[in-house]
Amino acid sequence: MTKHYFEFSCPVKMVAGFRALEHISFELDTRGASRPLIVSDKGVVGAGLVDTVLAAIATGGGQVGPIFDDVPPDSSMEAVRAGAARYLDSGCDAIIAVGGGSVMDTAKALNILATEGGVDLRQFAGYNNLKRPLKPFIAIPTTAGTGSEVTAISVIKDREEGVKTFYCSPFLLPDVAVLDPRMTLKLPPMITAATAMDALTHAVEAYTCLARNPMSDAYAEAAVRRISQWLVPVLLRPDEAEGRLALAEAAAMAGIAFSNSPVGLVHALAHTIGAMYGVHHGAANSIFLPFVLEFNLPGSRQEIGALLLSLAGPEVYAATPASRRAEEAIDRIMALKDKAHELCGLPRTLAETGSVPREDLPRIARTALDDGTVVMNPVDVTYEGALRVLERAW
Amino acid sequence: MNDAPVSTRARLVVLEKRGPPFAFQRFYVRFMLWLIGRLLQAASVVDDEIRREVGNLPAGFTFSMRVRSGSAALTLTKHGDRLRAVPAAAVPHPVLSFDFKHIAHAFLVLSFQESTPRALANDRLSVDGEYPSAMKMLRALNRMQALVLPRFVAVRALKACPRISLAEKIGLASRIYGRLIVELLKRPAA
Ligand SMILES: [Fe+2]
Repeated sequence: MTKHYFEFSCPVKMVAGFRALEHISFELDTRGASRPLIVSDKGVVGAGLVDTVLAAIATGGGQVGPIFDDVPPDSSMEAVRAGAARYLDSGCDAIIAVGGGSVMDTAKALNILATEGGVDLRQFAGYNNLKRPLKPFIAIPTTAGTGSEVTAISVIKDREEGVKTFYCSPFLLPDVAVLDPRMTLKLPPMITAATAMDALTHAVEAYTCLARNPMSDAYAEAAVRRISQWLVPVLLRPDEAEGRLALAEAAAMAGIAFSNSPVGLVHALAHTIGAMYGVHHGAANSIFLPFVLEFNLPGSRQEIGALLLSLAGPEVYAATPASRRAEEAIDRIMALKDKAHELCGLPRTLAETGSVPREDLPRIARTALDDGTVVMNPVDVTYEGALRVLERAW
Repeated sequence: MNDAPVSTRARLVVLEKRGPPFAFQRFYVRFMLWLIGRLLQAASVVDDEIRREVGNLPAGFTFSMRVRSGSAALTLTKHGDRLRAVPAAAVPHPVLSFDFKHIAHAFLVLSFQESTPRALANDRLSVDGEYPSAMKMLRALNRMQALVLPRFVAVRALKACPRISLAEKIGLASRIYGRLIVELLKRPAA
């Protein structure tokens, strides 16, 4: 009897492509909402992206409530409370988030307070501690990487308690994710590359880690294919709308993949050097990805080899002997890193970040072992194993 | 039931004769959770590595591994660098808990048919609490199993068997079991 079992869920409606923003007023209307709070940050507002969204809603006959743009780069409890107060004071009935990961996290947590009223947010921390649906929530990502528009998690920095608090519930998921190429056209090359490599890592880890399943595999393969096809062209021609949309779709698909098949050691190491030295999450993932895949070869040679098809296309895949496909797939990722480094300076190694001291590697290895993501890594991670990857990535 | 085809009817009769559903699994899981709690308590005295993991857990740490229906649980509290098995009622709100969604899932893991990481990957087990503590408890559980289980069972229960020499394994295992027996004789009713 087979012991095969998996779970998969993605109830987010995707509204994606040319003139996607113009669908928002319809989506609000069908959910009985007419006064959404716009949640964003100063950078996104300054880049004119919120104006673009507002214009698209207005021309569709829709209306919006106030704009809350006080979201800090690291979503905070204060911002969540301030945003929720604005929501409740101005009689809003829905939330539209326009921004990157921090804006999405803030909007998700804000939605808890908007729905439950003036309560202590902390009582909902942890897993599945929400018991009913929240207010209508539309997510418009302005980066193509985190996949927050399709994930059920929000991480909020709680300065009073000195911790980062997790909120995880299917009710946190947006009702609608709007992917419009206009939202990412102006992303600087370095952020484009780093966020795309984050999405690539989500897809590759979802595909190679323990919870992989037929559904997450399908999303992961499609995401890897788009990123390997479009990242370099978009770095060369940043206003390539077709490529921008492909990367946004890839980030969402990778988000769906890793929501249903969680990430592994690459993320454990990236979380650790992110917290210790502030290395950008996408850049950190990019650094570790090929070296962790090398480390994981004994446990997932088959899966890594299968990724060559999505990374390099059918000709290369067919021409590569089955026994060499895994190594070739890793080489392709190395080559993508080299190209991104050449085009926008994305660091390839820990040394190139200029902020991780070599003598700290043992401490990083020790700390990374406590990151929950190592559970899903296909190969058991010991201190020695983590240190070996770090030495390679130096 | 009389309308059911003969083969189905026969199967239903067999099911009815088996008594309450999952009775054996329930009994087995309850016993194993009890045993694992005692073994962890003993191992946290005997083994340096487990003692180090426990020492690094936050003060006042409490842990529970439960079946959601409430039919079985193991509960541990931290005292210095040691763990102590206590009745579930003593800790109604553990700092960290691993919850099996169903007795059948707990049975799969505790009869070594499915490893703990596999059970987590299959969403059979949910973790409630801080991940750094969860990772320390998982490592302590893995280490304890690697020490006390015969190797052919341990390879099924664990993602990887740590390299421990046979002499070291036998030495530590016998001290853990010895300690377990001493504890039982000391507090037979607990
Ligand atoms: Fe990530």
